[in-house]
Amino acid sequence: MRTNDVQAAFVDRLDRHRGILVKVAGAYCRDAAGREDLIAEIVAQLWRAYGRFDERAAFSTWMYRIAVNVAISFHRSEVRKAMNVEAAEPAILELLPSPPETQGDDALALVREFIEELDELNRALMLLYLDDNSYAEIAAILGISETNVATKIGRIKQRLKRDVAARNDV
Amino acid sequence: MELEELKSQWNQSNRKLEASTRLNTLLFAQWNLRKADTSLNQLARRITFDLVVNLIGIVLLGWFAADHAGEPRFIVPAALLDLYAIALLVAGARHLFEVRSLDYDEPVVAIQSRLQRFRLARIRATMWTLLFAPLMWVPLLIVASRGLFGVDLYAAASPAWLAANAIFGLAVIPLAIAVAKRYGSRLARATPMRFLADEIAGRSLAAALDDLAAIRRFAEEG
Repeated sequence: MRTNDVQAAFVDRLDRHRGILVKVAGAYCRDAAGREDLIAEIVAQLWRAYGRFDERAAFSTWMYRIAVNVAISFHRSEVRKAMNVEAAEPAILELLPSPPETQGDDALALVREFIEELDELNRALMLLYLDDNSYAEIAAILGISETNVATKIGRIKQRLKRDVAARNDV
Repeated sequence: MELEELKSQWNQSNRKLEASTRLNTLLFAQWNLRKADTSLNQLARRITFDLVVNLIGIVLLGWFAADHAGEPRFIVPAALLDLYAIALLVAGARHLFEVRSLDYDEPVVAIQSRLQRFRLARIRATMWTLLFAPLMWVPLLIVASRGLFGVDLYAAASPAWLAANAIFGLAVIPLAIAVAKRYGSRLARATPMRFLADEIAGRSLAAALDDLAAIRRFAEEG
């Protein structure tokens, strides 16, 4: 296949699965500019790895793996940068607006808030679970056993219940 | 509210976002493929640049040693510098290999563990480089004076002056660690001095070790 054809096929697949980009970037990055940078990094990394993609495998699983790996690395470096900014410009961070799509939607705001409180790996687990991936798919993407996935999701559910109960008590 | 209830809200919101990003994503992807640079590529380029600089240093030191064969007073400091440069070269080559062989198309836990181990190796290399640098000051002065200006520092400076510099180099190491531990956290976070202080005091190393431990805990059953 010619390079242009390969590129066209890649962009077509990317567009069909663009939801993964949106969801992963949204889960790991709060501000719009950061999300754009993260998506750029994920797309570049996907394109770099595309030549090694095994056509027998599911494109979405492959894409999730790369997207989550890139997002966690990006988030770690962004967190370090943010820690640097925090000391210098605390007021600016306080004034950062919430993503517009969460405004006026309590349930969605709650789930976003809940996701943001999780560490990077549990956040990936939650994201994959919310996106209706099976335990087997989640296990394959994260590289842990299905039993481990089930245990962790059980714990996340309990934590969510506690959080919601605590919120209702206030 | 149950987690299952939140799923539909979450998916509904993402479907809206997806619909509004169709054209942007396409345009962006096409633009980005031409650029197709990743932060890993940028890191690999920086490491390659360091490797080339070290290699040039090693070649120049070899040249200097050949010119001063049979003169231990010049050969010994040149050999010390050479060992330092070779250690940096080996560490850099290992880092480059690690970056080049990283494949994000592997399970998340495996890749994140590898990335953390790589981060640890980089931090350790930086720590050792910073800590040994003061020891190299006197050999560098002797070799550079001779090699660049033809000045024999053993004749131009007194032995006491050279000894004082060597002792200062030795003393600076524990002093730097103590100062970085005691006062480093008071420096503004964004400054290069803070970065150096965190590396010397071992704070960056501790943070990287904590992250690695967190990944291991996540991978553990139950």
